[in-house]
Amino acid sequence: MQKRNKYTEIEDFLSDESFQSWILFKIDEDGWEEWTLESRQRAKLVEDARLLLLAMKVPDSNLSPSDIHNALQTTWIKIEEKEKHINSIHDSKVKTLRKYFFSGAAAILVFGILSVWFYQNQISPKSTVITYKELIDENSEGLVEQTNNSDKPQIITLSDGSSVLLQPNSKLSYPKIFTGNERKVYLSGEGFFEISKNPKKPFFVYANEIVTKVVGTSFRVKAYSDQPDVEVLVRTGKVRVKSNDLVAKSNQEEVVLLPNQALRFLRSDLSFNKITNITQDVTLTRSVGNIEQLSFEFTDIPVSQIFQTIEQAYLVDIDYPKNKLKDCHLTTSLSDQPLTEKLKIVCNSIGNNTSFEMNGNQIIITSEGCN
Amino acid sequence: MKTKFLQVKTFNDVTLWNNLKDGDEKSFSILFEKYYGDLVNYGNSLSPYAEKVQDCVQDVFTDIWVYRNGLQNSVVVKAYLLSSVRKRIARLHERDHIFRKATSTDAISFLLEFSVENELIDDDYATKEKVVYLNKLLNELPARQKEALYLRYHQGLTVEQIADMLEVNYQSASNLLYRGLLTLRKEWKGNLSLIILLSLTTC
Repeated sequence: MQKRNKYTEIEDFLSDESFQSWILFKIDEDGWEEWTLESRQRAKLVEDARLLLLAMKVPDSNLSPSDIHNALQTTWIKIEEKEKHINSIHDSKVKTLRKYFFSGAAAILVFGILSVWFYQNQISPKSTVITYKELIDENSEGLVEQTNNSDKPQIITLSDGSSVLLQPNSKLSYPKIFTGNERKVYLSGEGFFEISKNPKKPFFVYANEIVTKVVGTSFRVKAYSDQPDVEVLVRTGKVRVKSNDLVAKSNQEEVVLLPNQALRFLRSDLSFNKITNITQDVTLTRSVGNIEQLSFEFTDIPVSQIFQTIEQAYLVDIDYPKNKLKDCHLTTSLSDQPLTEKLKIVCNSIGNNTSFEMNGNQIIITSEGCN
Repeated sequence: MKTKFLQVKTFNDVTLWNNLKDGDEKSFSILFEKYYGDLVNYGNSLSPYAEKVQDCVQDVFTDIWVYRNGLQNSVVVKAYLLSSVRKRIARLHERDHIFRKATSTDAISFLLEFSVENELIDDDYATKEKVVYLNKLLNELPARQKEALYLRYHQGLTVEQIADMLEVNYQSASNLLYRGLLTLRKEWKGNLSLIILLSLTTC
């Protein structure tokens, strides 16, 4: 309290908490009253500071201790709500659907539309339901359509090198050549997509009411117009799924899926359910294709075995000079690569002008053996 | 009022703040009880809607707790709280006037009237008169000057803290204070000592 002896300005007093409490609350802890009377000049200074402080008083809100106590209780309730809300943004969707998940294979993104068990009580189509046909009609800028009427998956290679493994009873529409800043394809049924990376040209899969966006990765899509929901499953990388603008103008919620996460879109009420444990989901587990179970991580593996894995995954036939390549072993990681990329990597690794040629489901490797 | 003030003084803001950051609910509650009334008073000076002001103050505390991990260590708690309340009321004000583009807290003005309290009854008539006159002068000051004076002398903030709160630089903040006091000095003809004293403070 010795500092006050040096006070020469009214401001010094005004901002002194102890002084304030003396003037405003009449709490004279530091003996201001006595101190003031020690000097006449000081008394004048103090008096002026006092007047100014009194003149500057503001009305008290008259909150009683119980008012403040109640306000504190209200605040704790608000805190609880806010924390709940924040958590729900992070994982509420996850919680409800924790039971769906299956032990993931490689890192690949899959989205699909399935739910066979809902097949019988199929919902009556509403105006909000978008079918493949409507999507195509919306975007009829010279699309190529491929339909798989066989009982085996078919491989489609797109102009950017991306590959799509199209399941039976499924259709894919895509431009012969991707132009512009986006790559858009339209799916009905199920397909497994492996997208060549190109951050400047994001890849969009339109499947019924949802749109899935990836920059480059591999994934499977399965979307049937006669089933009540749409599912997306991610193996590697990151995909964003949102509802198509055609159905949801207000609901522009975007769901981000990470590897081994899935999403089920209920067509009847346009709701998204995120599934974070795919191992628990019977439907998803059952629908896993070859390609998701196969590992494309090869460590000193004979080339013949690598080709065999690719054949199983994409249901293609690979013709290669067996004798010339019989002693060739490779260590390589082909996960998350489109079919053509996989073939390119394998050919480059073998070396010696090894090349491949693709013709529908037929792949022919030309090689003079490995180094 | 007395008991509250005394009790409050025994706790150190910085300690409470740091405990709060570590998740100590008790410290949070103490700070809340310590400053709630003051913040509501201040908030009421910025918004005529008393109900919403209490909401805003509670929201400020809610955010402090919810986002306590992101709080800074070295904070002058009172200045931080006052500033947060001001910003939140400004935001509220903005939402109510969506056609107004202003995003700064300039959009709100200090409505509070300084008031002369009943306790002056104890004082002699001349003193009372002086206080009433000073009070009138203070209330005639522009809102920003008034707010600066309030923050400086009623809330005890430093000029730097006031500058931060009002979103102006240091010089502008001290100008606000200076001009406020200058006006008082000019008008306050009846008291010579105050003129001298005020001239001292403003140099």
